[in-house]
Amino acid sequence: MTTIAERPAIATPRQGVEKRDSWGRQFVKTITSTDHKRIGYLYLATSFAWFLVGGILALFLRAELSRPGMQFLSNEQYNQIFTMHGTIMLLLFSTSLFIGFANVIMPLQIGAADVAFPRMNMLSYWLYFFGSIMTVAGFLTPGGSASFGWTAYAPLSNSTYSPGIGGDLWIVGLTISGLGTILGGVNFITTIFTMRAPGMTMFRMSIFSWNTLLTSILVLLAFPPLAAALLALESDRLFGSHIFDPANGGAMLWQHLFWFFGHPEVYILALPFFGIVTEILPVFSRKPIFGYKGLIAATIAIAALSVAVWAHHMFATGQVLLPFFSFMTFLIGVPTGVKFFNWIGTMWRGHVSFESPMLFVMGFLVTFLFGGITGIILASPPLDFAVSATYFVVAHFHYVLFGTVVFAMFAGFYFWWPKFTGRMLNERLAKVHFWTLFFGFHMTFLIQHWLGIKGFPRRYADYLASDGFTEMNMFSTVGSALLALSMIPFFINVWITRKSPLVESDDPWGYGSSLEWATSCPPPRHNFLSMPRIRSERPAFDLHHPHIKTEGH
Amino acid sequence: MKANWQLFSGLAIFYFAMALVYYYVGGEAVGITGMILAGCLSGMVGFYIWFTQKRIGFDIPSDDLNGEIADDAGELGFYSPHSWWPLPVAFCATGIGVGLIVGWWLVVIFLGALIFSIIGFVTEYEKPLPSTSAHH
Repeated sequence: MTTIAERPAIATPRQGVEKRDSWGRQFVKTITSTDHKRIGYLYLATSFAWFLVGGILALFLRAELSRPGMQFLSNEQYNQIFTMHGTIMLLLFSTSLFIGFANVIMPLQIGAADVAFPRMNMLSYWLYFFGSIMTVAGFLTPGGSASFGWTAYAPLSNSTYSPGIGGDLWIVGLTISGLGTILGGVNFITTIFTMRAPGMTMFRMSIFSWNTLLTSILVLLAFPPLAAALLALESDRLFGSHIFDPANGGAMLWQHLFWFFGHPEVYILALPFFGIVTEILPVFSRKPIFGYKGLIAATIAIAALSVAVWAHHMFATGQVLLPFFSFMTFLIGVPTGVKFFNWIGTMWRGHVSFESPMLFVMGFLVTFLFGGITGIILASPPLDFAVSATYFVVAHFHYVLFGTVVFAMFAGFYFWWPKFTGRMLNERLAKVHFWTLFFGFHMTFLIQHWLGIKGFPRRYADYLASDGFTEMNMFSTVGSALLALSMIPFFINVWITRKSPLVESDDPWGYGSSLEWATSCPPPRHNFLSMPRIRSERPAFDLHHPHIKTEGH
Repeated sequence: MKANWQLFSGLAIFYFAMALVYYYVGGEAVGITGMILAGCLSGMVGFYIWFTQKRIGFDIPSDDLNGEIADDAGELGFYSPHSWWPLPVAFCATGIGVGLIVGWWLVVIFLGALIFSIIGFVTEYEKPLPSTSAHH
């Protein structure tokens, strides 16, 4: 049985409204900030801007593919656009979106005043900012940007097959931006280990903070190999070294190094967004998380296993141990299944209500489950050989990544918007946003599974009318237009609520669990004016609903 | 607190074990090297945390199940209110990167600027050493 309590009115006196700074003063404050929240907002805003750029590039791709024949792009332009779409979405948008959310939310959840190294935090941001601009700056050069795919396979990425400065800018830009990511990971790990509030033991930490910790560990394991591989590739291009020369096995070396980074990277993108979902589910189910320790164990298992599955991206090379990597990949499906079990268990017999954050979580669960199932299909080498490098794979990883990153991002935005700004977003527009996004996404990508099975290869700019791909491609393109339009309600929402009344409570959703709901909206400079006693993994809930006993850990 | 060094050491053991298994089933050199290095990194962090906690004591208020917020009362520590230095450090680092591609002259300019800004960053809150010729 679940005990239900009336929603109490939680009011804390608001602090005196500060005098608003001039625009110039605010600008200087922002670029010299060492406040984890302000840096977090910078990360969120910058990565969202890259999300829009990457999305517009995707629309070019879909428009080009809508009919047979070259519509308005050349082959080379098409290659550049899909390369930058992948790079921007994975490395410039999703990875830094994790750092943004972790920066704003994690110190609040563990009851810290800031992160451990506030100035290094800002250094991370600037490295990411300049590095990301450098990565994309190739579009401004005469030869255009990098066009060897976001995987930059050797020897295609060497100076013979991909001459031009665009590729160099891509390589060095990603190295610099990756350096910022590594520093961010170090910062989060140190913060979690050393700055938790008294009583906030490791096993009372919110799942989002746990996932931030394990994601940061994966960052430390994955990004240095990427930096090394990128610098070696640049040395091949600039100084004529032969590290990735196919004559001495360099083509395979690159793939191994790249995917040794690339697969943990997938979990770097997934784990923090699993964390966001796990924060939202109990609040809108009016129940504690089902299987708190099980969720942590599952996350640790994913983090451990994720460095031992990289070569499932390389099945088609015929030079990797198929049974080993297939087995390990199936194995990593188990902790992910445990997570699903716990999420459903959290909702089971709870009093589920569908406010906008919960709606986006539902979108996540549906979409990611589908991507996970096709992942199991692809983990089997005989099935993978049949659909490798077709749109089936494209559909698979868009279900996985869009499902986790984008649905959970919007869930997090709607959930924490009052904490960020002190104002709620409009629910009706949020629902319009969700349903257009949901149908737009599934229209675009569901059909690509069949397109792939019929044999449409990925990364091709064109196809023949006689191939029979036209209708499905047109359908997908129409879906992508709907997907793009779904951003409009979100922007309208942000705009019209910019002056809506401030929320009068620390916990506007009424059932917030973790510590960020025990401070004002938005929180003061060093986060807490007073902090409740921490006796469980739901300190804010214990504070606001003291008559409901939570089982302590 | 045991959880943090155990987490890293556990990961290290797992990665070493995976390297062994991978070697045994006939894995290639890159993966074996990668997993051994991943094990070394995790082991190093785990050892450092264990070693540091042995030195400063394992009982900190954060890990006290009955910890009170007041246990951490007093000075929170020093927090930089704002800083100009991260911006030039990152800008110069990027400048060196551009220089690699554009020309060595740019690397030289930005390397000098980077060293200058790193000194600025590191010494921003350093106080000058107390003068030896103090007048008592």
